[in-house]
Amino acid sequence: MIPSDHFTRFYNEVFKFLEDQGEEHLEAYWLEISKNQEKHTLELFKEKGLKGMYEYWDHIRIEENCDMDLKLDDEKLELRMNVCPSLSKVLDNDAEPMKRYCDHCAGWIGPLIDKVDHHLVYDVIDRNKPQCVVKIFKDKEKAIEEEKNAKLLMGWPKKKK
Amino acid sequence: MKPILLENLYIKVNKNNLDQKLRYNDGGNVHMDFHGATNTTIEFIINKYGIDTMNDIFKKVGNDVYKDIKDHIKKGNIKMLAKHWQHFFDRENADYNISINDEEIILTVNRCTAYEHVRKLVGNVSPNFCDQTIKTNEALAEDTPYEIKTEILGEAACRQTIRKRA
Repeated sequence: MIPSDHFTRFYNEVFKFLEDQGEEHLEAYWLEISKNQEKHTLELFKEKGLKGMYEYWDHIRIEENCDMDLKLDDEKLELRMNVCPSLSKVLDNDAEPMKRYCDHCAGWIGPLIDKVDHHLVYDVIDRNKPQCVVKIFKDKEKAIEEEKNAKLLMGWPKKKK
Repeated sequence: MKPILLENLYIKVNKNNLDQKLRYNDGGNVHMDFHGATNTTIEFIINKYGIDTMNDIFKKVGNDVYKDIKDHIKKGNIKMLAKHWQHFFDRENADYNISINDEEIILTVNRCTAYEHVRKLVGNVSPNFCDQTIKTNEALAEDTPYEIKTEILGEAACRQTIRKRA
């Protein structure tokens, strides 16, 4: 068994293999993970919108030992990851970290948020630091405006324009 | 303390004889859903690239991610692997026991909670789900004086034995 605690280091090995095959291979994998995540998030997000997303990430915050602040208001959900356990483990690793490890997160979350007609702004800030800011808006124009403030804005496969 | 298999030449596993520092010593909550993502990944890689590619990735996990344990095995310290098993099977609340002597360590998993969690999540567990154990173990033992044999005893059950090569 690869312990669930070490999944991210296994993930990192998968990413390195796929990156060597080409960008479309990585994207296909992110979409597969996104589809997998739909099983326990899509209905919740569709039914409850931002409140459902808050519930999901609040659960993740606890179960994945994240140092993360969550803020919900009528217009948006904001996740401020102060210490990301996923990247932290990949950096604390005897194997080489994939340089773009952070990209997978927007890679699976973005398509899911597109599906429920909300708008994701994913600021990784710095790929070498385990921190990021994620904002999910109801209103597209507000998301576009917020993108201007991002330090390192992430995209994802088939991002809605 | 976990249940033990105590036979004449075996000593039980406890904190005294496995008191070594693990390279990855995770604490806090456990996110079992990651095993579901592992199952998805195994299916994805095998369907798209074939089983040899999947096995090569597990080999990298054994050689590179678990380099520290492998280095200990090379030096003859196989108790570090037992410590790793104990720590993480405890964290995942598996039903297991470990028997240990100077030449051989046997881990018997009676109920693998990773396998059971995936079955609960997705229904059908990949027929290659346990390859993560088999192939990672093989890589851990490769180029060391030891071999690790993984026997699947049934659904969610296996026996893993590390002993000196004949």
